[in-house]
Amino acid sequence: MDYDLGEQADGLRQRLRRLIEEHLPEGFLGAFTDDPEDLAITQRFCKLLATEGLLAKAWPAEYGGGGGSVWEQTVVREEMWAHHEPRGPQYMGINWVGPAIMRFGTPEQQALHLPAIAAGDVIWCQGFSEPDAGSDLASLTTRATPDPAGGWRITGQKVWTSYALMAQWCILAARTAVKAAKHEGITMFLVPMESQGITVRPIPNLLGPHHLNEVFLDEVSVGPDGVLGQVDHGWSVIREALKFERIGIARYARCDRLLVLLREALGERWDALPAALRARWTRARVHARAAMVLAYRVVDAQANGIVDDADASVARVAATLCDQEVAEVLLEALAAQAVDDGRTRHPVLHGAVEDHWRYAQAATVASGTIEIQRMLVARAALAGEAR
Amino acid sequence: MNLELPDVAIDFGVAAERAFGDAGGVDLARRAEERPGTRSAVVAPLLGVLGALDLRLADDPDAALAGGELCRVAGRCALPYPVTAVLASGGGDRPPAAIIDPLLPRADHGDLFPRWRLAAIDGTAWDGRPEGPPLGTELGPFVVDMATTVRPDQGDTVDVPMLLTLAAWQTLGSLERALELAVEHVNTRHQFGGPLARFQAVQFQIADATVAVQSLRELAHFTLWRLWTAPLDRLVDALALRAHALESARDVLRTCHQLHGALGFCDEHDLSILSRHAQPLLRLWPGLEATTEQLMAAIDHTGFDSLFGAGATARAAHDG
Repeated sequence: MDYDLGEQADGLRQRLRRLIEEHLPEGFLGAFTDDPEDLAITQRFCKLLATEGLLAKAWPAEYGGGGGSVWEQTVVREEMWAHHEPRGPQYMGINWVGPAIMRFGTPEQQALHLPAIAAGDVIWCQGFSEPDAGSDLASLTTRATPDPAGGWRITGQKVWTSYALMAQWCILAARTAVKAAKHEGITMFLVPMESQGITVRPIPNLLGPHHLNEVFLDEVSVGPDGVLGQVDHGWSVIREALKFERIGIARYARCDRLLVLLREALGERWDALPAALRARWTRARVHARAAMVLAYRVVDAQANGIVDDADASVARVAATLCDQEVAEVLLEALAAQAVDDGRTRHPVLHGAVEDHWRYAQAATVASGTIEIQRMLVARAALAGEAR
Repeated sequence: MNLELPDVAIDFGVAAERAFGDAGGVDLARRAEERPGTRSAVVAPLLGVLGALDLRLADDPDAALAGGELCRVAGRCALPYPVTAVLASGGGDRPPAAIIDPLLPRADHGDLFPRWRLAAIDGTAWDGRPEGPPLGTELGPFVVDMATTVRPDQGDTVDVPMLLTLAAWQTLGSLERALELAVEHVNTRHQFGGPLARFQAVQFQIADATVAVQSLRELAHFTLWRLWTAPLDRLVDALALRAHALESARDVLRTCHQLHGALGFCDEHDLSILSRHAQPLLRLWPGLEATTEQLMAAIDHTGFDSLFGAGATARAAHDG
């Protein structure tokens, strides 16, 4: 038994930290702010990572990747998330849109999309949720009907769509047939966001700009080459995508970094905090460590080609609860400074804790709610299939 | 990276579980409560046959993992024997080792050995000997008051981090088994025309307990590996594991009792035995808040190794 990630992965971690230190401004809190320069920073950083062969580090070389191991990919995920995701919205293309196209795409789709994702040239958004299809995603009603001129016409509404205003492409789920089982009859489409008939409306929200949008589709025309996978069999693509999503965000890494940094930043004020709060900080560090080793179990399974849905959900439940626990502990430690953000005078850690707390509210909602994760875990446990 | 337990540890655990099962499993604990001599007459020879007493945990990480597995399967059947104390003794004829509260020195199964090596969490050590028979209480059927004498020679120290770690593995076993029993119960117990398991309120409790058990298991594996690879961080890592084990035990045992209803309180049911016999390891040594305080102090002293924090071993390596 050996938990050492190895010299290669350690070297990669140091290299990433150097790049972050050299190329990101101090106090960088991600692309999703009101300042367009923050998005520009992430775009430049993605280009840099791509040039260094690090953006698609774990992708196979044939798709423009670096052929790295899943452990190197884990290091990338950890370092990026810990440093407020300087890949901006592009993490999604790398983490799962690209892999889904590798798995289900035609050679033409692969040639069109994968090099662009690997080069950091393109932003994707994900058109899954709808006003009446959230956790019950298979109830989606956005309709794609065959176009007599060839291809498809898509009409409907998507919601909560992150990065929709920035994205050039959308991976979109639409109903192509009404069948007895609602999971059947769904098809995945790769849709250019500049298509006629697409309207995006941003929704002001506590998470910050760009996280939540509505996307309206009115007779949007998509060619036959826009179908990803088989017509009516999009659910298997979605399941694959969500599996990647569940371990896609290394939340424990940012938790760990902020727990360490805030204590340093508070200096002598730390000792004056209530003992009970310092005890919660102490236990949160243990929880972040536990969430990390749980995630490593899933990555290890992935390395061996067997990702278990329930294991991935266990890791996700632990990581998302840890995220919210850390958010509460750290915000409480800031006391009256909790409400400062990066724009106020002298915010602690440039407002990173306030930013983390806001975003952590979505940890148990986004990419599959904690209730759905608990159902998956319980289902496996009750069937005697949990480890 | 290799997250798999070595075959030698897995095989050891399988053999031990089979041997304990053949000897009666949880019934061994019931028999021992009626006839305390069962511990020496039945359990000790079983451990001897398995070769448990020959494991040299300090010599070899695989042996330590085999020891961890032994503690886990002992926890699964509430084995009435101080397995952690014997394994952490260092082997040979050395007396068993245990952690005590210096204000009220007590050891589980303290009556089984005439001499003990006892230590507080901070490593302060005493020689110990049993003072009287086991308390025979519900939560401490074999807990014994101990007399301590200050050791003239502090050189032969007690491996406190190893004890804390092995105890967490034993607690893990008890929680694993308690959860299996709860799953079995909610699948088979019918109310309102169907199994309890069909209620989402029940499913979510099972899910949370599953997360807690898996989380403790992964941290237990990781910590035992760290004891070997980060020698300057042994105490801080072991305290972190103990804190996690105490939290998990509190939550998982509570859930399992709740889901079993009144049945789980009956000694005829294994859950009651598991729950009662798990208590000495949880209560005689520092509890959750006290462990957290100790952990906080240890972090102040040595740091806590993590992606962004450096433990003492990493700092020493960095400083060359």
